[in-house]
Amino acid sequence: MRCRTVLTRVDALRTGELDAPEQSSVDEHLKTCGSCEDSLHDVESLARAVKALALPSPRSFRDIAPHDSLDRVDDVWVAFSRRGLRMISRGSEDEFRVRYAKRYGRALERAELPENLRKQVTAALHGEGVDKPRLDLDFDRDDANDLEAKVLESMSRIPKGEVRSYSWLAEQVGNPKAVRAVANCVARNIVPFVVPCHRVVPASGGVGKYAFGSKLKREMLEREGVDVERLEELAREGVRLIGSKTTHIVCCPTCKDARRIREENVVPFRDIDDAIEHGFRPCKRCQPFAA
Amino acid sequence: MKNSWTGGEAATVDVPAAENLALSVHRCQSGAFERLIDHFESALFNYAHGILQNPFDAQEVVQDALMRAHKALTRQYDEARCAALALRPWLFRTVRNLSLNKRRSKKSALNRPLEEFSDDRLGPYVGTADSELARREDVEMLQRAIALLPVDARELIVLRFMEEMSYAEIAKTIGSTEAALRGKVFRALRLLREALEKKGVTHAM
Repeated sequence: MRCRTVLTRVDALRTGELDAPEQSSVDEHLKTCGSCEDSLHDVESLARAVKALALPSPRSFRDIAPHDSLDRVDDVWVAFSRRGLRMISRGSEDEFRVRYAKRYGRALERAELPENLRKQVTAALHGEGVDKPRLDLDFDRDDANDLEAKVLESMSRIPKGEVRSYSWLAEQVGNPKAVRAVANCVARNIVPFVVPCHRVVPASGGVGKYAFGSKLKREMLEREGVDVERLEELAREGVRLIGSKTTHIVCCPTCKDARRIREENVVPFRDIDDAIEHGFRPCKRCQPFAA
Repeated sequence: MKNSWTGGEAATVDVPAAENLALSVHRCQSGAFERLIDHFESALFNYAHGILQNPFDAQEVVQDALMRAHKALTRQYDEARCAALALRPWLFRTVRNLSLNKRRSKKSALNRPLEEFSDDRLGPYVGTADSELARREDVEMLQRAIALLPVDARELIVLRFMEEMSYAEIAKTIGSTEAALRGKVFRALRLLREALEKKGVTHAM
């Protein structure tokens, strides 16, 4: 082996990174060549000197590690941030953490749930219904979960004691044709009870399906003050919207404003086009298909 | 360090003990990302500093790289990819790319007015453990000599001798082959030695 070749290999030799035949021929050469051996020692001393230059990081970057908080209310796990609730679920802690990681890509640290959030969770779990839940559903959006984020946000605005249809929700998120996709998002609700997915019902009548059973959905709605039987009756008659003769405003049947229309002033409608044809305007509160 | 060529020292440094850190971060295990930060921040800072020769920029680059790493590991890479990831070269590569970007943009930004550079986000930089060492002349000489090297030689010196990476890892980090690296490291060392001699350091360091 020539000196030139050896010189490019002394550093690898130093750390034992040469393969066996190369190592033996370099070793062989070093025994006979003083100048190459010198350069090995030179590399060693330079390596030591450079190593000593290593600085500690000037500051700890630990504070950029994102994480949210986790607490337990009754028998459910609650993930939350300073801004609001992020996820609720039963099951084991590990399952919950894995699910949370998939959704938000963050770790969870145990912490105490603030009182205002705790109140909302407790009320929701006891079927009392929550209005305007404090939520933080700000997962970094991509094409796949953008719709889901919008659905959860619109859904959380359905007031207690009212229901909306899946198609209404699809309209709200600006995707009126994607009723199925929207319904899937509703079914995947990661903050059940607090985000009122039970207040979304089929337009064709009945309370529809529910992750925790239709019976519970019906009970919860009745407890929140929805007249489920009347809704079913209206659905059977093909009535989807209700207008008022006096104001010429048309509402969803459970809208707070629709419920106070006197019986003699109620005008039933099949759909929003029907209502607009008769000179009605959509209610601004319940926004029955902003036409 | 007499028998230093018999052991595979560089190969055993810094292998996270019995834990696939990338996978733990991917699964968002409690404290996993903090462990990753503790484990790598100084090394990454030194590398960025080696390329940029500026502690403020180096800090910024490391922070950016760590945030990108977190996003990639948790949101973009699937489980299999994280499991197979060579974490150290991957992190160093991220820092390398960002550092070189920064270096390039700084160069082109030299003509721009000064107020466009905002340093508000940076914490105060305090030279800590190096201050007592820096008093020693040799160390200062060495630092200056390294600073004067071309950037590709500088980064090799840092990776190979400060971080004690194996040739295989360096090859992965900077995208080269081990055989080519031997020559590059040799030339970088020769440049360093020459620079030192120009400064009048002829004895071994």
